[in-house]
Amino acid sequence: MHSPVEQFTIKSLLALELFGFDISFSNSALFMMLSVLVSVTYLTMAMRRREIVPGRLQASAEMFYEFISEMVKSNVGSEGRPFFPFIFTLFIFLLFGNMLGLIPYSYTFTSQIVVTFVLAAFIFVGVTLVALIKHGMHFFSFFVPPGAPKVLVPFLIIIEVISYFVRPVSLSVRLFANMLAGHTMLKVFAGLAVMLTSAGGVFAAGSVLPFLALIGLTGLEVLVAGLQAYVFTILTCMYLNDALHLH
Amino acid sequence: MAHSVAVKTSGLALKASAFGLIVMASPALAAGDSKGGLPQLDFTTWPTQIFWLVVSFALAYVLMWRVVTPRIASVLEDRHDRLDDDMQRARQAADEAESMRVAFEKTLADARAEATEKTRLSTAAAVAEAEKKNDAAAKRLATKIGKAEAKIMEARDNALTELDDVAVTSAIDAAAALAGVKITKTDAKKAVKAAAKAMPAMEQN
Repeated sequence: MHSPVEQFTIKSLLALELFGFDISFSNSALFMMLSVLVSVTYLTMAMRRREIVPGRLQASAEMFYEFISEMVKSNVGSEGRPFFPFIFTLFIFLLFGNMLGLIPYSYTFTSQIVVTFVLAAFIFVGVTLVALIKHGMHFFSFFVPPGAPKVLVPFLIIIEVISYFVRPVSLSVRLFANMLAGHTMLKVFAGLAVMLTSAGGVFAAGSVLPFLALIGLTGLEVLVAGLQAYVFTILTCMYLNDALHLH
Repeated sequence: MAHSVAVKTSGLALKASAFGLIVMASPALAAGDSKGGLPQLDFTTWPTQIFWLVVSFALAYVLMWRVVTPRIASVLEDRHDRLDDDMQRARQAADEAESMRVAFEKTLADARAEATEKTRLSTAAAVAEAEKKNDAAAKRLATKIGKAEAKIMEARDNALTELDDVAVTSAIDAAAALAGVKITKTDAKKAVKAAAKAMPAMEQN
């Protein structure tokens, strides 16, 4: 019997080394690349005919674009426009990573804390740099809530600073934990179904129950995959908005 | 928007932590594999994951930035322009139709006014003509009637004179036959006139 978390194991497909670091092309790397290739191919092919009245495929690609465009516009405003390609890439990369990961025998690279944390840390550093470049020293006023009583200000600054530095942690853990928990649940129920079937007799008939639960959970995981990509992206938009407009 | 998302995410975080508890409680997980614990915490796999994340994300960013988004944006822009263009043309056509309608209505009103004026004029002319003709006819008729009346009066007078003569003659004859008296014409005439005066009704008739 395999452990339900064995599915998260990184398996090297092609051993590579750079400056003494192991950078082997692994199952995780394969699905990162697939996520990029599938999404870029889909979005390019869908727009190939450039129809004025779009067909289903083109309409779906436009829908993704307009969804993110609208998200950036409403959460960041017109100043967020230069960051649109990044936000769009982030959403599509995570969405396709999460969705491809739901295909049996595939790999979900977003279930790795290191992946989500590097993304979140990059966003955190980037957003902080944007704020520092735009507002200079004035940026630090961000940690002082406006209209707060003077006595409370030192405490509030501490709280604000902590909450600011917790951002990359919460952002990365949210996505990682959702993916980890979801895929583990799927594996647990699948394992139970297999175990009951191999037990034979009445137990084999009973394996229908975990199998039905598995079907329901798969549907739920599709929802979670979409929602977590959306949440990660919209929180990035909000952090960017804070950086550009402070309060 | 921001609020609802925050609520949603906290809800999901709750759910995630609940799932996390299940995962922790799972004996299969607690037992672990030979390496022990979550594969995510095997730091030796981190460099390769970071490396390929940077490579694939950078590739995705460049492709999205340079190829995908400009392509979608240009199609959306084309559509937007085309729609604007069509809308403008439609608006122009509507304006033209409106001005045509106004012109048509003006022509119609003018024609109607002209027709009314002409009708009025010709009616007045016809009425005047008819009145003139009527007057002329009435005059003609009046003269004719006058002449006819004069003729009738003359005829009646003649008839009355003749009647007097008949009366005189018949008076002479009657006197001769009845009384054997021979009266002169003059006397007879006097008697007839007197009788006639006594019977004004006859004269009237």
